Order: sequence, then C-alpha cells, then structure tokens
Amino acid sequence: MVVRVRVRNAETGATVDMELEMENTVEEIIEGVSAYWEKDPGAYVIRKGRRLLRGQQKVQELDVQANEELELIPDPEGGNR
Amino acid sequence: MAELIRPGERDEDRHDRTRLIPWVDMDRVSSSNVLVVGAGALGNEAVKDLALFGFRHVDVLDMDTVVRSNLSRCVLFREGDQSSGKGKAPLVAERARGLCPDIDVKAIEGKVQSLGPDDMRRYDVILGCLDNVAARLHLNANSYHARVPYVDGGTDGFRGRVQAVVPPFSPCLQCGMNRSHFKVLERRFSCTGQDTVFYQPKMAAEITTTSIIAAVQVREAVKILSGRSAITHVMHYDGLAGTSEVFALDIDPGCSNHLSAKLS
Repeated sequence: MVVRVRVRNAETGATVDMELEMENTVEEIIEGVSAYWEKDPGAYVIRKGRRLLRGQQKVQELDVQANEELELIPDPEGGNR
Repeated sequence: MAELIRPGERDEDRHDRTRLIPWVDMDRVSSSNVLVVGAGALGNEAVKDLALFGFRHVDVLDMDTVVRSNLSRCVLFREGDQSSGKGKAPLVAERARGLCPDIDVKAIEGKVQSLGPDDMRRYDVILGCLDNVAARLHLNANSYHARVPYVDGGTDGFRGRVQAVVPPFSPCLQCGMNRSHFKVLERRFSCTGQDTVFYQPKMAAEITTTSIIAAVQVREAVKILSGRSAITHVMHYDGLAGTSEVFALDIDPGCSNHLSAKLS
C-alpha cells in the first residue's frame, strides 16, 4: 500500500509530494526531501501537526492520511561559538 | 505590634518586581545549584539572565578561550578579552559577579565529557549551551541518569530550539534525534576517529536569536524549580517568521537512556 503526502520545506515554504510505502521510515523521508531540495548537511526533523516524528518510526505507525502535510524543520545545533 | 515600613523600601530589594510574579519561587531559585555547560554565545546570555533573575549558585563549564568573532554575541566579553589568555568560563564568572555581587559563580575549565552522573547530581538543573551533537549526547545521557532536569538550547542563524528534559517522565534529546544528527556527529569525528575540533564548521549566529533562546532556557529552569510544568517538549523558534511553536515528542522505546533507566 502506498500513501501520498506533501512535505513542506520550513526554510523556503516549498512543497513536494512524496509517495511512501508503509515500511518507509521518517529518516527516509528526511533523506529523500533533503536530497531533492539539495539541503546543506545538517540535522533536520519532521513534524506532523504539533508532534515531532521519531526517525525510526515507520509510515504505518504515523496514522498519516492521503495528502496530509508534513514539514521538514532544521534542528539547530549551534550556540557556543 | 504592627509591622514597621518605610516609604520606598520595596525599591531597595533588587528582586522586588520578580517577587510580584506569584508562581515564581524565589527562595528555590536563589538556593538552587545550576550548571551552565558552554560559556559562549548562549552561555553568556544564560548566565547574565540567571544572575539578574536571582540565581545565586552557578557553575560554568567551558574549555575555550575568547576569539574576537565571539564579541558580537557575548554580552559578558569585552574587547581585549581575546588577547588576555583567559578562558571563557573564568571571564563569564568574573563578569557575572560584576552584574550581581552576591552571586557565587564558579568557573570550570574543561570538557563536558569530564562530567559524569555523580557530578550532575550536585545540580538542581543543567543548561546546555553547546554547539555540537557529541557534547549534547553526553550531557543528555548523564543528566538523565542522574535524574537532573536538563534544558538544551541550540541556534543556527535566525532559527533556534529549546528542549526541556525532565527525567524520568519526558523524552530526552536522543529520543528526538535521527540519522541526520548522527551524520553531523560523524563529520565531527571524521578526521582522526577521536573527538576533535579539527573539523568544526562555522555556523551562522547572531545576538537576537541567541538572546531569545537563552532566555527561554533560563525561564524553563525557573519554571521547573518553581514546580511548574516545563514545555512539552521542544520549542522551535523561527526568527524570520517571528514565530515559535512547541512540539510534543514521544519517548523512543529504543533509546538507550530509557532502556537503562528501566533496568536501574
């Protein structure tokens, strides 16, 4: 089974649709859209509504609906320089 | 006998206006022991806020010395500090005492990796003002095992995040990390296989976001110490949009910190 979701780039507002298998993981979503948008190397997280998704969660665990929007957010790691 | 008061005496109390906030437990704030890890941009702001808020027992840890490019974000550093040879931690401690003479600030010059759970247990709350995943993971794991609340801050340009970890009930930093974080970690270790600073990418940073993120960290510390709930669980700040949102995070059942907590 395949579900199509929309992923928004929090930094630019751009969106891309992505077809996901139930076995795909959140980490695979992050890597897929990061490569598509040629993101700088860095840490990112995905949010679904008001919840951050864990990297190893599979799509089948996410209760994601067709055409639902997820968002890719940079996870800032600086602050001591 | 009636209590004797004098006109204007309330203005003699440095913290009178803070005491007007009913939920803030100033006795707890002033008696608690706080560890600030990192005396750079976030650490400067955090210590400044802790001193002004009324914290009286603060330890500051850092292994670095000041470079001139720190001066655009570090309120406690001064022109000339970069050539003084003094470490960031002693400078922050010295300047915090200038802000508030009755604060007891101790500088610890060293790496966060030198601290274990026994060291963490001396504190009531720990603030992470760091700039890399490896140090965060160390502080996160050791404070979690010591059952000490940990408030982590991070910035990148006009973006920032704060996560409040209150063991044993809340998810920890590691629960929210994924392969992208560990790739960042691998790059840091990629030169020699040991934790080095040979490869340390320069990250965008500026004072306005630094101030906001450090202020939220200190406010979360005040909330935790005053018996209020901390944010649940991660605040992301977008300075360009002028927005901040708090996102919930689940405990990762595979996270080593939670597995070992169950076993102990």
